[in-house]
Amino acid sequence: MNPILTLLQDMGLAAIPAVGFAMIFNVPKEALKYCAVAGGMAHALRLGLHKFGGLPIEWATLIAAASISMLGIYWAQKWRAHPKVFTVAGMIPMIPGVYAFTALLALVEIERKGFTSELLKTAIDNGLKAVFIVGALAVGLALPGLLFYRRKPVV
Amino acid sequence: MSMNNEPWLRDDQREVTRLCVQTGVMLLQHSAESALVESVSRRLGLALGMDSVEVALMANGITVTTIRNGRCHTTVRRNLDRGINMHVVTEVQRTMLLTEEKKLDMAGVAHRLDHEIKPLRYNRLLVSVMVGLSCAAFARLGLLAKGGADDDMGTLVLTFFASGVAMQVRQYLAHLHFNPLVNFAASAFVATCIAAQGVIHHWVDNPKIAMSACVLLFVPGFPLINCVSDMVKGYINTGISRGVMAVLLLLACCGGIILAMTISNVWTWL
Repeated sequence: MNPILTLLQDMGLAAIPAVGFAMIFNVPKEALKYCAVAGGMAHALRLGLHKFGGLPIEWATLIAAASISMLGIYWAQKWRAHPKVFTVAGMIPMIPGVYAFTALLALVEIERKGFTSELLKTAIDNGLKAVFIVGALAVGLALPGLLFYRRKPVV
Repeated sequence: MSMNNEPWLRDDQREVTRLCVQTGVMLLQHSAESALVESVSRRLGLALGMDSVEVALMANGITVTTIRNGRCHTTVRRNLDRGINMHVVTEVQRTMLLTEEKKLDMAGVAHRLDHEIKPLRYNRLLVSVMVGLSCAAFARLGLLAKGGADDDMGTLVLTFFASGVAMQVRQYLAHLHFNPLVNFAASAFVATCIAAQGVIHHWVDNPKIAMSACVLLFVPGFPLINCVSDMVKGYINTGISRGVMAVLLLLACCGGIILAMTISNVWTWL
C-alpha cells in the first residue's frame, strides 16, 4: 500500500484507543480531541520511523514520545493543565501490552509445564522488549522537561 | 464553635498547611506523578504566604511542613487510591495557578478543594463501547503489522464484544469497591472466555490476535509510565511502589487469562 495511506490509516486507528483510554483516565471532555491527535500522530510517527526509516522500535518510540511531549507542553501552557493530561493517553497505543502479557504468560507456562529453553526465550525476549519500550516512552515524555525546563515548571 | 476562646484556630498557618496537604493528597489519590504533587503543593503554600513548604512523599502517604517566621507546622495524610482521574488533577492545578495570580484567597481555595471539585466520571456504557472500539482498533493494528489484514471482520467484532463486556464488568466491580487485583483477574477471565468461544466455534481467522487484543484494556499504562518518570525525576520509592503495583495488576490479569484458557482449553497465546 502507498506509504502515505498506510500512515494515515495507522493514525486513524491509533486515535481510537487514545480517546478510549483517555475516557478511562477521566480526561476532561474538552481535552479529548488533543488526546486523539497526540495518539494518532505519535503512533504514525513511530511507524514511519520504524518501518520506513529503519530505526529500531525502541528509538522510534523515544523520538515519537519526545515529539508528542513537546506538543503536549504547548497545549499545557495554552490550556493551563499538566502536559501528562494530554500525552499519557496518547502514549497508550504504543504501550507494549502484547509483549508484557506474552512474557508473563510464558513464565506461568514454565511453572505449569516445566522448564524449556523455548519458553524461557519467549519470556526474556518479550519481557525485555516491553521494559525497553516502556522506558523509552516515559523517558521520551520526560525529555523536554529534562532538557529545556530544568529548574522552572512547565505551567 | 467560638473562635475567640481558641486563638490557635485563627492561626492562618494551620489552615494553609491543611490546604497544602489536601492538595497533595488529592493529586496523589488520582494518580498524578510525584514531581507534580510536590510542586503544586509547594507553590500553593508559597502563594498563600509561607516562607517555605517542604513535601515528603511516601508510597502511601504524604507529609507537609510549612515554615513561617521560623515556626513549623507539620501534618501527615494517608493516601487511599481513588483511581486515575485527570479532571481532578487539572482542577487542583488550576486552583493553585489562580492562587498564584491572586485571584483566590485562602477561603476561596478551601471552598474549591472541599466542595467544588467533584471527580468527573464518564457514562459507563459509553466508556465500554469506546474501549471495545479501542481494542478492535488494536486488533486491526495487529492484523496490519502481521501483513494479512484482508477483512478479518470476525476478529474485529469478537474483540469488540469481548473487551466491551469485560470493561463493563471491570467498571461494575470497581463500583462495588473490589480490590483492583481481584477486579482485573475477574474481568480478564471474562474477556478471555468470550474470545475463546469465538476461537472454538471458528468465527475468527486469527485466534491469537483476537485473544491478545481483547485483554489489552487491562494493561496499566498510566502506572507504568508514572513509575519510570517518577524514578527518572528522583522519586525512587513512589516509582518502585507504582511499578510493583503495575506488575501485580498484569500478573492478576495473567491469572484470569490462564484460568479461562484452562477451562475452555484454547491455548493460542504462546
